Amino acid sequence: MAVVREKGYAHWDGRLVERRFPWLPIARTGVRLTFRKKAFKFFFAFAFLPPFVALGGIYVSERLEDFKAIVQSNRALLNIDPKYFQAFLTNPSVLFSLLVVLVFAGAGLIAEDLRHSALQLYFARPLRKKDYVLGKMSVVAFFVLVLVALPWLLLVVFKLIFAGSLAFLVQYPWLPLSIAAYAALLTVFFGCYVMLLSSSSRNTRYVVVLIFGVYYFSDVLSEILKGIFRDPHTALFSLRANLQQAGAFLFGQKLPHDVAAGWSFLVLAAVCGLAAVVLHRRIRSVEVIK
Amino acid sequence: MSIEVKDLSFRYGPIQALDGVTMSLGEGAVGLLGPNGAGKSTLLRILLGFLVPEKGEGRVLDYDIRRDQAMIRRSVGYMPESDCFIAGMDAVTFTSYFGELSGMPRREAMKRAHEVLFYVGLGEARYRLLDTYSAGMKQRLKLAQALVHDPKILFLDEPTSNLDPTGRAEVLDLIEDIATKKSIQVILSSHILDDIESICASVVILNKGRLAAEGRMEDLRASRVSLFELRIKGGGEAFRKDLEASGCRIEETEDGLVKVYMPEGAARMDIFRAAARTGVQLRYFVKSRTSLEDLFAGAVGVD
Repeated sequence: MAVVREKGYAHWDGRLVERRFPWLPIARTGVRLTFRKKAFKFFFAFAFLPPFVALGGIYVSERLEDFKAIVQSNRALLNIDPKYFQAFLTNPSVLFSLLVVLVFAGAGLIAEDLRHSALQLYFARPLRKKDYVLGKMSVVAFFVLVLVALPWLLLVVFKLIFAGSLAFLVQYPWLPLSIAAYAALLTVFFGCYVMLLSSSSRNTRYVVVLIFGVYYFSDVLSEILKGIFRDPHTALFSLRANLQQAGAFLFGQKLPHDVAAGWSFLVLAAVCGLAAVVLHRRIRSVEVIK
Repeated sequence: MSIEVKDLSFRYGPIQALDGVTMSLGEGAVGLLGPNGAGKSTLLRILLGFLVPEKGEGRVLDYDIRRDQAMIRRSVGYMPESDCFIAGMDAVTFTSYFGELSGMPRREAMKRAHEVLFYVGLGEARYRLLDTYSAGMKQRLKLAQALVHDPKILFLDEPTSNLDPTGRAEVLDLIEDIATKKSIQVILSSHILDDIESICASVVILNKGRLAAEGRMEDLRASRVSLFELRIKGGGEAFRKDLEASGCRIEETEDGLVKVYMPEGAARMDIFRAAARTGVQLRYFVKSRTSLEDLFAGAVGVD
């Protein structure tokens, strides 16, 4: 039977525009595709659990009289100050849930394009390498900001609403900036970290293993070295410890390790630098086999 | 001229992929022909700005290939040779996505994606995940994404590779329609001679990174090789050797038809003289139309 085909090709009479942010369609499509993944929505919703718990704590702290039977012995825990926010945001389980979301969102971002030779399609468009990387990194940034900046800044607002005064903000005027700065740090670090590992393989499953593996291996290595050398500087080998150290510095709290916070920032910056080098080498419009 | 290159050279490490290629391509479908490794894909990639030439210059639609890469990519569509898609997407999302990346407004890109998918014959499958597409469907999809922003020039790199005969005929049918009725210039790179012969009016033959022949197919056929078909009686071996000594290439079919490919400048009388010298009777003699295969063999120097 003959194939019935619509031959109605018509020329497009519109005008192609030069976008100010050519990476925006890449970011938007990346976020949409992430939400299409099975089980992602569950883990994404689960990652909002810590802010909800913190919200409960903030509410109870403003209604101590109503909840005195429950919180009698835990009054100190409900002291809402920058330390309260820092304790939640640098908590290993919070970082873990963030990592799980980023595995869904970021592991395949570049690996899938490498696997299916899609880079040449991107670069056959008026896109530069930096537009491509920025677009992909924006997907990671979106999820970090949605999970870190947005809910925790809202919690400051809720605190003011529950208190019915601006006294909290007057007392800690730098807290919103600390949250924003920490969210920015996590965005840049995890953006580079996930991009680095996603561009290192064509196999997404392998990248997933690498994202968890490198993160936790650095932790284990740090603990082993600490056991051997009894030196606080061994914490610098752990990505998690460096994030906690930087977080404590940004919230103006006591550092968890006896090492200058600058060293932790330097280690995190080194990971970002390595990512830039690897991305520059791996992202090519044409794969040249020599 | 829509595409002009002058003294273009490029090397992959020690391998000289293009060596001083100079050519001008006008309107209509142009076939880029050559054996594997001739430099066809490299030439297309340089024209798209994927690779920076080591030497030489070029213009595509009057845009400089070194400076105006963004403008060139906005004006051309590229269908790569290898399978390429984005996992987890359906065809409509995929096609409109690349329309948007070309600079189309989002809504327009979506509308246009539906149109081109119907045009390439994927209308019914446009909401299916690309991961489930067959080789033929992926090939059509690549064509759709190359067409979505309505390019002025379409670069097609081996568009019929990995296709069964029916799929190949359908894709060629589409390309012919684009080239002849849609006023889009098609540059078709292939090593399948039949594909080019059926679609292109002009051809560029590359061999070992150099330009081996260029021009309208008819002109090349007329000027480069003369093919004569004959039937003979008598000592064929001596006759063959005599002709080969004068630069002719001889082929003999199973039913005894002798094909003589005469080089440029040779006269048909040379065949009669050779027959007279070797005592052979010519029972049948006719000048045949040169096929692209003959032309290619003549230009590249292989049987």
